[in-house]
Amino acid sequence: MSETLKPTRRTMLTRLGILLNAGIGAVLAVPVVSYLLAPLRGKNGAPYNQWVKLGPLEQFPEGETRLATFRNPVVRPWDGQTADIPCWVRRIDAEKFQVFAINCAHLGCPVRWFAASGLFMCPCHGGVYYADGSRASGPPERGLFEYEHKVEDGELVILAGQLPTLAAQDRTGRRKTCDC
Amino acid sequence: MSGGDLWSRIAAVAGALALVSCDLPGRPGPEPEVLRPEQVLDFATLYSQNCAGCHGEEGRGGAAVSLADPVYLAYADDAAVRRVTANGVAHTLMPAFARSAGGMLTDKQIDVLVRGIRAWAGGSAPGGLKPPAYTAAGPGDAARGAAAYQTFCARCHGPDGKGGSGGHSIVDGSFLALISDQGLRTAVVTGVPGLDAPDWRNDVPGRPMTEEEVTDVVAWLASQRTQFPGRPYPSLQPKNQGGTQ
Amino acid sequence: MRLLKALGAWLDFRLRLGEGIREAATHPIPKSSASWWYVFGSAALTVFGIQVVTGILLAIVYVPSAAQAWSSLQVLNHDLTLGWFLRAMHGWASNFMVALVLIHMIQVFLFGAYKFPRELTWIVGVFLLLMTLGMAFTGQVLRFDQDAYWGLGIGASITGRVPVIGGALVHLLLGGPIIGGDTLSRFFALHVFIIPGLLIGFVGLHLLMVLKLGINEWPMPGRIVRRETYLKEYEQLTHEGVPFVPDAIWKDLVFGAAIVAAIGVCAAVFGPFGPKGQPDPTIIQASPRPDFFFLWLFSLLSLLPPQMETPVLLLMPPVAILILLLVPVLSGEGEKHWKKRPVAVLTVLVVAVALGSFTHLASTTPWSPEMDAWSGAPVPISELKGRSALERRGALVFQAKQCRNCHRLGREGGMRGPALDEVALRLTSDQLIRQVLQGGGNMPAYGKNLSPAETTALVAYLETLKPAGRAPAHDASQP
Repeated sequence: MSETLKPTRRTMLTRLGILLNAGIGAVLAVPVVSYLLAPLRGKNGAPYNQWVKLGPLEQFPEGETRLATFRNPVVRPWDGQTADIPCWVRRIDAEKFQVFAINCAHLGCPVRWFAASGLFMCPCHGGVYYADGSRASGPPERGLFEYEHKVEDGELVILAGQLPTLAAQDRTGRRKTCDC
Repeated sequence: MSGGDLWSRIAAVAGALALVSCDLPGRPGPEPEVLRPEQVLDFATLYSQNCAGCHGEEGRGGAAVSLADPVYLAYADDAAVRRVTANGVAHTLMPAFARSAGGMLTDKQIDVLVRGIRAWAGGSAPGGLKPPAYTAAGPGDAARGAAAYQTFCARCHGPDGKGGSGGHSIVDGSFLALISDQGLRTAVVTGVPGLDAPDWRNDVPGRPMTEEEVTDVVAWLASQRTQFPGRPYPSLQPKNQGGTQ
Repeated sequence: MRLLKALGAWLDFRLRLGEGIREAATHPIPKSSASWWYVFGSAALTVFGIQVVTGILLAIVYVPSAAQAWSSLQVLNHDLTLGWFLRAMHGWASNFMVALVLIHMIQVFLFGAYKFPRELTWIVGVFLLLMTLGMAFTGQVLRFDQDAYWGLGIGASITGRVPVIGGALVHLLLGGPIIGGDTLSRFFALHVFIIPGLLIGFVGLHLLMVLKLGINEWPMPGRIVRRETYLKEYEQLTHEGVPFVPDAIWKDLVFGAAIVAAIGVCAAVFGPFGPKGQPDPTIIQASPRPDFFFLWLFSLLSLLPPQMETPVLLLMPPVAILILLLVPVLSGEGEKHWKKRPVAVLTVLVVAVALGSFTHLASTTPWSPEMDAWSGAPVPISELKGRSALERRGALVFQAKQCRNCHRLGREGGMRGPALDEVALRLTSDQLIRQVLQGGGNMPAYGKNLSPAETTALVAYLETLKPAGRAPAHDASQP
């Protein structure tokens, strides 16, 4: 090999050509990579999590836990039904609320509320939570994910916009223990 | 081969293919495999998913009211069945099923349930005797009820209601805590088919209970409720909480 | 006929492919390798061909949009002539392909075919397995129904467990903050362009190596592979061997045809897979289940102790893949025959039994509550017979408080907790009260949600649950 590839003018030019292509390729990789990483940066600079209205307070009777749905704040026109997100609203008394994500803290399956037994049950792997969202039994490591919420003009508003996972909730999600 | 001939052959082949595809067992039915939950409007499905657990298959043989019992159907009107199905009965074990009350069923589905339950009736109550009203006209008199109890119920349930030759205790504090006055009334009127407890006509054969007697017996039973039912050690009185919720 | 030959000659003069093809087709293989055991790889390739064809046909109609994908599948199933059959073919062929790839891999492993000089063929094969599984998973996502939606949720939840960069990875996986249009689009690209493209390239490489290095000879106990001597020995075997076409290929053709026919029959008889309910997260009456080849994972996720879950989820796949990749590096020489490789045979058996048991468990999901049992599973009439008014109220408490969702009675109900048909033989009333109120052993405490009356009624009922004529559980500390 080394005999045929003596550093002649032509081999030099070939190397230069390769280098040129590598350089241009590297420059063009920048837009490709940033295009691929676009989902990391919200939509048009707006953060994923925004305050969303869940509806008037009368919808949520005191002492009960009800299903509420909201349209995700960041949507694509072709998201269809998938951008309608459900959550569980527990009204403890006139002013105190808890808003739980529908997604089980284990692997994200939809938990269902059973008023009679005061439990949330997950159909996938059998995670069970108490009425206050704390873990009762099964594989979850922690209680249900909770949305930050406030009351504005007689409406319940929550800070939502992302699929709750262990990573997304690390900062706000408190690790809950049973207080029984 | 003429053009028409060719086309007819193609049509025949296509027809055969279509025929074959109709008969294949794997061909999915015309409906989506899984309907949206609110689109389920088949009474049998709705009943077996939501009601059969307590009221029994086909409305018979459950631990709760036998909905298919002709006496019950003659006694309870549609409005009552609908109200109870939709909103449940507070402080008892009957939950609310309407979405507006925190349940999972739409109003339309509750209509289907009410209509389906009603369809079990067929005709009116056997014997043609009109059962007492579903709702009591007014509060009963417990003292008169005690007397009526002796006439109609004591034979099986014992002189004090604590059980006798043919019946179990019906004055147990926990039992009474888990049944509403309306539930007691229903039990008195319809009896309990699964336990051979007779309806209001046959407690004493040939002598149906009157409207007032039913109301009074229920009042007497209700007067037997205890303040702290279900305490395993009744001598230790709880200090600051009620018995039932 | 003569015309055809002339055309062939004309083409070959210009393409210059004939000689290469003829050489590849008639290359000599060891006599013993023209065996029925050597047909699985080619069958997998045949099924891949079916997938390409049916996949393209489905893509003509399918709409990869979160809002419309489900409806387009309904059109395929119900409105287009035999659209359901193509969906069924694609679905069944995917199951057959995963199965064939696995069988092929086990055969290659037990026959020692991955040893020198075919290490790289095995390594490429491992990637082919991963891509096949990748196709199976992304395909399940494209069948955009409830299972697909919540399956993506599970995928995102697993990804979210990655330390530090978990959140970023979730967004990359989903293409946005939630499971939606962006998610389906990228899984469509994966399923239709990226993975199949890679798959075609890797299949080509895999085949090229089979041709260049020759098919593995039938192993003989005691015939040891050594780097220094193997190539010479193999050359000897092929020298005495037979041409691939026609001596071996007819078996591939027959088996391949049988597999294709089997897929067709399955598609015609059992029909397409789903789609199940609409991918609407507000329908919370969902019990998501993965497709067959991921059921074992579903079981594993339910049965792992919580504190082990994240490490196992994150470390198990890379470690398993690494082990597979290292197999030929670690045992590139030595015995090929399974009779002389007990560890290899045992490994295959243990893995197969483990995966099989996990898959079987997932078909009954004993760990999941049965969400409708409380309202849908009647209390057996025999378990109400002769019960008192209080006990019958207890049966209602049992149903209304969702006990049935986890406990069976008369073979109906959940299996998360023990069946209670004979519970009175095991627990005294004090023990029952304690268990109900305090929970424990993976049961939630019901203390706050049962009034004393309800507890009394429930326990009174549970105490009646025993076969007639047998004495109830007895507290040994009491006289």
